[in-house]
This record gives sequence, structure tokens and C-alpha cells, in this order.
Amino acid sequence: MLKMTHLSKVYRTEVVETYALRDFSIDVKEGEFVAVTGPSGSGKTTFLTIAGLLETFTGGSYHLDGVDVSHLNDNARSKIRNEKIGFIFQAFNLIPDLNVYDNVEVPLRYRGMKAAERKKRIMESLERVGLSSRLKHYPAELSGGQQQRVAIARALAGSPRLLLADEPTGNLDTQMARGVMELLEDIHREGATIVMVTHDPELATRAQRNVHVIDGQVVDVAEDRVFSTSQLAEHSPA
Amino acid sequence: MTVHPIIAALRRHKAGVILIGLQIALTLAIVCNAVFIIGQRISRVDRPTGINESNLFLVTQQYVGAPSSDTKAGADKLDTMELEDAAALRQLPSVAKVSVISSMPLLNSAWNGGMSTKPQAKSGFKMTTYYFGDQNMLSTLGAQLVAGRDFNAGDVQHAGFRTDAKRPVVIVTQSLAHKLFPNGSALGKTVYMDGSGSPSTIIGIVKRLQTPSTSDWASSFAYDSTLIPTRKDAFFSRYLVRAKPGQMKAAMAAAHDALFKVNPMRVIDDDMGIRSFASIRAEAYKQDVSMAILMGAVCIILLALTAAGIVGLTSFWVGQRTKQIGVRRALGARGIDILRYFQLENLFIAGMGVVVGLLLAIGVNQWLVQHFEMDRMPLGYLFVGVLVVLVLGQLAVFVPARRASRVPPVTATRSV
Repeated sequence: MLKMTHLSKVYRTEVVETYALRDFSIDVKEGEFVAVTGPSGSGKTTFLTIAGLLETFTGGSYHLDGVDVSHLNDNARSKIRNEKIGFIFQAFNLIPDLNVYDNVEVPLRYRGMKAAERKKRIMESLERVGLSSRLKHYPAELSGGQQQRVAIARALAGSPRLLLADEPTGNLDTQMARGVMELLEDIHREGATIVMVTHDPELATRAQRNVHVIDGQVVDVAEDRVFSTSQLAEHSPA
Repeated sequence: MTVHPIIAALRRHKAGVILIGLQIALTLAIVCNAVFIIGQRISRVDRPTGINESNLFLVTQQYVGAPSSDTKAGADKLDTMELEDAAALRQLPSVAKVSVISSMPLLNSAWNGGMSTKPQAKSGFKMTTYYFGDQNMLSTLGAQLVAGRDFNAGDVQHAGFRTDAKRPVVIVTQSLAHKLFPNGSALGKTVYMDGSGSPSTIIGIVKRLQTPSTSDWASSFAYDSTLIPTRKDAFFSRYLVRAKPGQMKAAMAAAHDALFKVNPMRVIDDDMGIRSFASIRAEAYKQDVSMAILMGAVCIILLALTAAGIVGLTSFWVGQRTKQIGVRRALGARGIDILRYFQLENLFIAGMGVVVGLLLAIGVNQWLVQHFEMDRMPLGYLFVGVLVVLVLGQLAVFVPARRASRVPPVTATRSV
């Protein structure tokens, strides 16, 4: 699903070159839930922005859903972002001027989807996150947890091949964070591929696989190290 | 992209929308009416006089110590002096034609009267301006005779300035002829001037000859002129001179010296004494041209201010929404989608302004019609005004919108 090989990202100024990612390789299979952890400044957010085609990279290769995205132009990258990737941001990034319904509708409009189909998907995704009764509410009228659920609904509405979550519980209190994580786990269990960036090792243990990044390089890959509580329960013998 | 999300977002920014919308409305209302006024002024300035305006100049002079024209002897003396002056001018090598004349188009010195087809009429006059002069009047003016004949020497008489002489023959313009005789030719018909019982026969019809007055009140009879073959004797006289092609300056300079050579007892004003027709035209329409320039400046300033307002507000909104734009880009918006968003947003605000502006424009025009006797503004001005305002809005919003379209999608992950 997501395969980066010897990927690098260099920020150049007149006097210095800074490697945000160096010889970075990762392979995320379809249906995986991968947590990317690391301290601040380790390069995990840079990885996420490149993975989400929000930014270009300097060297190496990146295949997303079998497509080499190295040389795609801006419009092609926008199209892939719109159709294949769902974003969940730490700060929710809802559009404050639009209500819940309109916020979820944003990526679907850019896809040129017909109104009836948009409505169906919006209602389904909002029901999925338990906010179908808040259609007319504006972001400012919702709690942080609810806003993040709307953001998840927005990410899900387009049926993306890959969900990218950047510190999805970073702005939430413990109770709300737990609710959001359970929602992500449910979504994963339904077959979604999720890559979550977090600096919280405890949160990372909820993922299927943990990739640790330091100084722009993958230093540790722990496969199937930890399952979430719910997964454990699901896989436990009766 | 449809307008629904744009409207939804605009509803959350009512103050900015209303301010810019009102600015657009006011601009449209004022610009439409100002352009209409400019158009009217330009059409006034551009209207043809009916004469051949090139190589033409007018000499206005006053005799010093001249006798009164109220007595026959005085009038005879003055007439002799005028004839001597005209002869002196005619002999100049740079001069083609000379006419003793009372006034000329656009001079704003007119002798107006009322013309009737009935003797001693008390009402039903057609307003007209009288041009008094000799048999060279029509040819020197260069006006086109379309029917009948020009004056000959036998038609011409002279009379004191305040003497009510008979006017057996006249030439009128087509416009006046049609007003006097709407159902047939005026040629050979009899008319009566200023309620008198003295008949005048129309011997010729001129295609077009504008009156001297450029005032609004005289616009209803701007082309209703009457030429009378009488030299009006007074302490002052006017000579219309047509210079030979390319010799205008020489003729104007020579005219001054020639007249003083004939009779030094006269005053010729340095500025107003010898004037080319071009300068007479410029003077006559000075106010119209000034008004058109002023209105044009007002339009340009208003349009510039509106454009600046749109650029300012959109730039502010782009700055305010940078993160939001990044989020939209992250969610799949292309640069062109962002550009289109801001262009459509402006079109929507301008559209609202245009609706209000159209009502205001019609209201302002109605007010001008009632209070300043202006014409009703044709719908074409509104149509063009709307187009100008909408295009201006789109152009003004383009630069900040393009800046917005270049916000990278990675902005969504940054704290802006």
C-alpha cells in the first residue's frame, strides 16, 4: 500500500543542508495499522506529509497503492490525495465557517461527486462516528473529541485507501482520546490501512506495528508487537 | 465548486461582505451616471456646427469715437467704415474670404427671436437665432445650401444696431424650415419675425448651421438659425475671415495690422480680438470638457478605490484563511480550485453589490432627471457599468486569489 525506499528529504538554505529524512524505508501493507513514533524533530511529521503527498521528497522512491508518485505534478497529487488518502490532523483542521455537514462534504465536492451520492456518504460517515445529529453545528459549537470525530468522518467519507493520522489525540483529554482511538481501531478492524504518527509510546502500543524514527531514519521496527485491547479480546479463544 | 459553501462561509463574514458590496453598489451607481454625463457632454462637444471650421477666424473690434448708429448719418458712416475694413482684409494675400457678420456658431453672443408663419402673431413662435451679415456670410462660413439661392449684393442692406429694418429675404436652416413648415417645402414661403407684420421670403435653405449659444436652455433650437442679409452698424463690428489653406497664422497677424492701417482709431483686444474658430470652440465647450474630465477622474478614483478595497479584503481573507486553504489543498483541492473559490466569492459579493447598485443608479438618474433636467439614462449604460464592475472585481481579486492558490498543502500540518 505504502512503500518508501531509501527516501530522503533535505531542506536546503544558502549555508546548510538539513536532512529531515535520510535513507528512510518503510513498507505498509494493505489493512495494516502502523504507528510511527519518535521524539520531537525526529522526522515523523515530515514522513507523514510526504506519505500524504503534501510535500515532495528529495531522493529515493515512493509507491502509493502501486503508483510511483515521484514525478507526479501538483494536480495529479491533489487527485490522489482526494481519492486515496484520508487525513486526520492533530488540530482537527475543520473549516470554521462551515457546519459539520459542509465540512465533511469538502473533499467530496473536489471529487466532483453528485449531490445525492455526497449526501449518502456524508450521512453514513457521520453515523459511523456518532455525530449524525450534529449536521448543522459549527466546529466551535463542538467539543474537541467531537471535532476530531467530524474530521475522521471527513476522512472516511471519501472511502480512502489509506488513513494518515497526525497525533490524532494530541489535542484531546484522556477520555476523548480514548474514544477517538477506539474509533480508529474499529475503522482498522473494518479493513482500513492506517498510519498514525505519535510521540506517545503508550498510544503506539494500540497499533498493529510500531515504527520508531530518530534523526530521520527508521531505527526499530516491531511487527505485530502489540494488539489493542479490543483486538486481543476479538482474537482470544472463546 | 458550487456557490453553496461560498455563501455559507460568507454568512460568517457579513461585515466585510456588506462593506465591499456597498462600495461596489455605490461605485456602479455613480460610475453609470458619471459616464452617462460624460457621454452627453462629449456628444454636445462633438455635434457638428454645419460650417467648415478649418482656416476660419473671427475679428472683433471696437471703433473709438465712432458716431451713434441711431441716426442715419451715423449708421451710414459706420457702414462705410465696416466696408473699408472688410475690403482691407479681403486684399490680404493670405485671406480667401471675408464677411461682415453679427456672430457665428459657438460664439455665445446671439440675437435670438421668434419666427412665425402668421403676421403679427402673439404666440406659436419658433425660436431662432438671427445671423446678420453681407452676401458673403454663407460662403465664408462654409455652410451648405441645399435649396434655393444664396444672398446677392442686391439683397444686402445696412441698418443701425437698434433700427428695425425690413427683412424682405432670409435664408433658414433645414431644422427651422421643418418646424415652420412640417408638411412641405419652406422655400419661397413667407415668414414673420418677432410678431411683426413685415413679411420675409425664404429664398434659401441651409443644411445645418448651429446657433452661437451652447447653453442648455438654447439646446431646443440649437440648429434653428436664420440668416438675414443686413449689415448691423454699431460702434463694434465683427469680420469672419477664411484664410487660405496653411496661411491661418499669417492671415491672423496680417489682419490686425491691416485694420489698424485703415483706421488706427479702434481697439482690438489682445486675447479676444482675433480668435481662431478652434479657440472659440474650445472656449464654448470649456465647461463641458472640464465636467467630462472631472467625471472621468471621479470614475477612475472610485473604480481604483473599489479595486483597492477588493484587493485589501481578499488579501486579508487569504491571510486569515491560509491554514484553511492548506486544509482544502490537503483534502484534494487543486490550485485552480482555490483560485476559482476566491474568484467566485468575489463574483457573488459583486453580484449582490450590482443588484443594489442598479437600483441606486436608476434612483440617482431619476433624481438628476427631476432636478437638473437631465435625460433618462439608457439601459446600455447600466449594462456596461455592470460589466465593468464585475470585470474589475475579477481582476482585482486575481492577484490575492493566485497567491491563495499557491498556498502549499503542507500548510495544513503547520501552526499558522
